[in-house]
Amino acid sequence: MNVIESRIYRLLASLKTAIFLLSFIAASSIFGTVIRQRADIDEYLSLYSESTYRIIHFLGFDDAYRSPWFIAAIVLFAINLTLCTMGRLKLFLKKGNIPAILPDEKALAAMKMHFFAETAIDGPAISSLKRGYKTIHEEEGGVVLEKGAIARYGVYMIHTSILIILAGSLMGLIFGYKGFIILNKGETKSNMTIRGGNKEIPLGFAVRCRDFKVSFYPGGQPKDYVTSIEIIENDRAVLEKNIRVNDPLNYKGTYLYQSSYGTVPSFTFNIGGDEVILRERDTYEKDGLIFIVVRFANAVHDFGPGVQLAYLDEEEPKTVWFLKNVERLKERNIKGIDIRLENIAEDFYTGLEASRDPGVWIVWTGFASILLGLYINFFIYYRKVYIRKTPDGIIVAGHAFRNHYAFREEFEKLKKRVLSQ
Amino acid sequence: MSHKVLGIVTLLYLFIFFLHVLYFAVKKQKIISLIWASLFAAIVLHTAGLALRWLESYKLGIGHAPLSNFYESLIFYAWSISFVLVVMKKRFDFPAITLSASLIILALMGYASISPSVEKTIQPLIPALQSNWLHIHVFTCFIAYAAFALSFISSILYLFKWKGFMPPKEALEEINYRSIVVGFPMLSAGILTGAVWAHYAWGSYWSWDPKETWSLITWIVYAIFLHARMMRGLKGKKMAFFSILGFLCVIFTYFGVNFILSGLHSYMV
Repeated sequence: MNVIESRIYRLLASLKTAIFLLSFIAASSIFGTVIRQRADIDEYLSLYSESTYRIIHFLGFDDAYRSPWFIAAIVLFAINLTLCTMGRLKLFLKKGNIPAILPDEKALAAMKMHFFAETAIDGPAISSLKRGYKTIHEEEGGVVLEKGAIARYGVYMIHTSILIILAGSLMGLIFGYKGFIILNKGETKSNMTIRGGNKEIPLGFAVRCRDFKVSFYPGGQPKDYVTSIEIIENDRAVLEKNIRVNDPLNYKGTYLYQSSYGTVPSFTFNIGGDEVILRERDTYEKDGLIFIVVRFANAVHDFGPGVQLAYLDEEEPKTVWFLKNVERLKERNIKGIDIRLENIAEDFYTGLEASRDPGVWIVWTGFASILLGLYINFFIYYRKVYIRKTPDGIIVAGHAFRNHYAFREEFEKLKKRVLSQ
Repeated sequence: MSHKVLGIVTLLYLFIFFLHVLYFAVKKQKIISLIWASLFAAIVLHTAGLALRWLESYKLGIGHAPLSNFYESLIFYAWSISFVLVVMKKRFDFPAITLSASLIILALMGYASISPSVEKTIQPLIPALQSNWLHIHVFTCFIAYAAFALSFISSILYLFKWKGFMPPKEALEEINYRSIVVGFPMLSAGILTGAVWAHYAWGSYWSWDPKETWSLITWIVYAIFLHARMMRGLKGKKMAFFSILGFLCVIFTYFGVNFILSGLHSYMV
């Protein structure tokens, strides 16, 4: 490495850089919580002036967590964390290779926590002291004991876990996708719609909504909404499940969540004696009669709800309204066939969220190991106890690498145990 | 019934506050023992009050843990501070600390029961909250908030001089640090359980919702604190100010996000 390279390396691997990057990430995250994220331009223009919006958009504050500078900060942080951790690990392993030594009496007596006892080094007092500790070094003049050695690995576990979580979320960002599916009762779909833009991507299977139910508390708040779903693959129903909020369906890595619901109008027509139920944008075709249900309106002028049909008359497109509450406009004759609007009903539809995230298990692994690492790091601590023969008996000294408060208590107990023997 | 019990609990905390006043007037060691005994009684009654509210919700046919609206979260926050105080009694055994803690608890209980803007009735649980993750998520978060409150108290006390009232500086530093050592893993657990829950409820373990983002900001502040303390020997006034900054983030995560920003956590918890 030349001078510049090593300087860059040192900068990237320093704690100062880590603190700077973390502060930067924390401070810049605030923007995304005070400025509306990923909204329409119109929404921004109703909140800010045009020039302010331009600045916001230029700096990426309208999509702060996906802006290049934010991602760059996270990537830099990941590199920094890797280098920091590796640097520490190297030092730690180097130290670990040095055999444990038993300091001389003077050095032990200089330790904050120590005491003298008039017992023999191989007496019962010492063997009782050794209980619960691991002997890592033994020589004629004494022993070195340790406890909680695992605590020293906690920090590496925590740091590695953060990298695992970042890797898992990166995998989700690259290979995962998210969309939604709107299903009417009885409807089957095999695509999901990606939010923002109307791109559709195939699910790899089909979902059919067998039923949808909402229940309410006596006060009117929604209590439960359930979609009874069927997964269809190769024209065969392979799985059935009730999806509710907090209880999604996982099929081959694709999660389907209950996310919303709403109502759509459905129209019951009597067409030449046959009863037919149609929805908006449905096409009806039979015996040479073709029409499309164009749209529903809750109030057509002042005449209440109605539905508009469109059909071709001698190659000429024509539209006609059927009004539910006006007897005269309930029945029409199109091309010699009597069509009567019997009813307009509101049917529930269900809104499902669909997502695929192959990184999620990696993230879970990271979560589990970071919690374990935090426990090891903060609730277990490493300490060494030295016992050395002196002319009058023994000296016992101890040192904790953290949590001195707890160790002082432990050491006092040791002292009592030895001195009472 | 639970209202009455919680009312008595509030009075008990008020009593504990007056015991402190009495202690600083006469400085009798016996009063300290009485303070701790009352704190133990308070946490038992407080727990009973929460349990009763839980039972009452079942009687209403909408059974759920009392962790679902702003009122319940305030009461639970007070409970958490009291709980952490009692569990770590050995560390917090300074009257200035217990006095400040009981004042905060009293303020939370008082705000919950007196403020007309806080809805006090037991409300049914909306579908998004109907999950077992609710219990572990709220518990870990509030234990973290409580530990951070105690680190905040020790930081504030650190900044002032008052002979015979203030605990020794080193003890305050130690309390500050140890509280964060308890709070930080708890906050981590709270964020992570929240993420797992979000995955099952909203379809994404992280969506940069303001509550999520602010909890991450808080987490980062305390992470930096711990590194500065362990690797760079952060101490003294600097450490106190740092800890106060962390707690300001906690307050914003808990209250600010609900009052000022909107998002998925709009059920005021």
